[in-house]
Amino acid sequence: MVNDGAPADADVVAQVLGGDGEAFGILIRRYEPGLLRFATRMLGNPDAAADAVAESLVRAYRHLAQCRDASRLRSWLYRITGNRCRSHLARRHTNDISLSDAPPLADGSDAWAVLERNEQVALVERALAALSAEKREAFVLKHVEGMSYEEMAAVTGARIPTLKMRVHRAREALLAALEEVVR
Amino acid sequence: MSPIDPRLQEALDGERDPGELPVDLGEAYARLISAVQLLAATPAASVAVRVMAEIRQPRVQVQTAGLMRRMVRWLARPRAVTLRLRPAWTLALAVGLAAILLMPGPGHTPGAAEGVAKFVGHFPGARSVEVVGSFNDWSRGTLHLSDDDHDGVWRGGAVLPAGQHEYMFVVDGDRWVPDPLAGRYVDDGFGAGQQNSLLIVRPVAAQP
Repeated sequence: MVNDGAPADADVVAQVLGGDGEAFGILIRRYEPGLLRFATRMLGNPDAAADAVAESLVRAYRHLAQCRDASRLRSWLYRITGNRCRSHLARRHTNDISLSDAPPLADGSDAWAVLERNEQVALVERALAALSAEKREAFVLKHVEGMSYEEMAAVTGARIPTLKMRVHRAREALLAALEEVVR
Repeated sequence: MSPIDPRLQEALDGERDPGELPVDLGEAYARLISAVQLLAATPAASVAVRVMAEIRQPRVQVQTAGLMRRMVRWLARPRAVTLRLRPAWTLALAVGLAAILLMPGPGHTPGAAEGVAKFVGHFPGARSVEVVGSFNDWSRGTLHLSDDDHDGVWRGGAVLPAGQHEYMFVVDGDRWVPDPLAGRYVDDGFGAGQQNSLLIVRPVAAQP
């Protein structure tokens, strides 16, 4: 990802590998928001998500030389973070996550909008938390992080048809949960 | 949970204009998009300071086997040697050898919470082999192996903190390979199915 006038990922990676460790801060600022959002949605707990992202970024820094294609750094960082989240979930031996962060609400125009903002947030988070980790990850990468199926495959290691199926199933489950409430 | 209309899936995949959906599907589309917008808020927290503080921490100093130690090992290895020495040189050589052999082996004596790790890898034709791992921040240039007799077997050692360490060999500067003799491996955490070798260093104090 290259912002206006900002150095390309590959250039920053080369800078870091050349000994300028402080340049890694550029990559943190660039990708931290998305990684935190992704981890928060996966783990349902902002503190656990912050831990997972911090550990992932430190790990990425220490293994930066193993990032064979710096132009795909974003996928690589999401992959590390996704793995860290899965490890975290595995340690908890449960898929029952407790979502607690309350993001702002978009306006709605139907019965859905009648619900209070916090109720909407809680409802969506509960529905997301009820999904399996694989479906939750696929849905969040596709719709919240806006990735293509190709990039999702690079992040998760799953095949594209598998990912499409997970996203479709996640949509069905979420829609069913949302309609249950507003019916 | 029942399957949702394929037209809705297509619209959500960006393959169909959502404006063309029937009213009921359009409402479902709007509901899912609203849910996505709820989830898309970026947490206000930041881990940047914490991460930068962590990566600025000094690395564990790896005490590599020094030149003196390699010389001693080379001298200790059995080999056929024919020497034709003048008497005056014989005495000088004996004094020199005694000085080398009486020197303490490792340049760094392991502390109570440290142990000696030895690395051996078979890499015929390699120009260089080094070890990177959790003990040196996965950084190259701190722990080189040597193949003094050019038989393709690269050896080296280091004094490391006792405990578990992940590591890999770096061959010719750019080829990362796990140690085939490690015995234990752990997933490298990058999702490509690759594994790091695992080394358990026992403290010198615990050794018999």
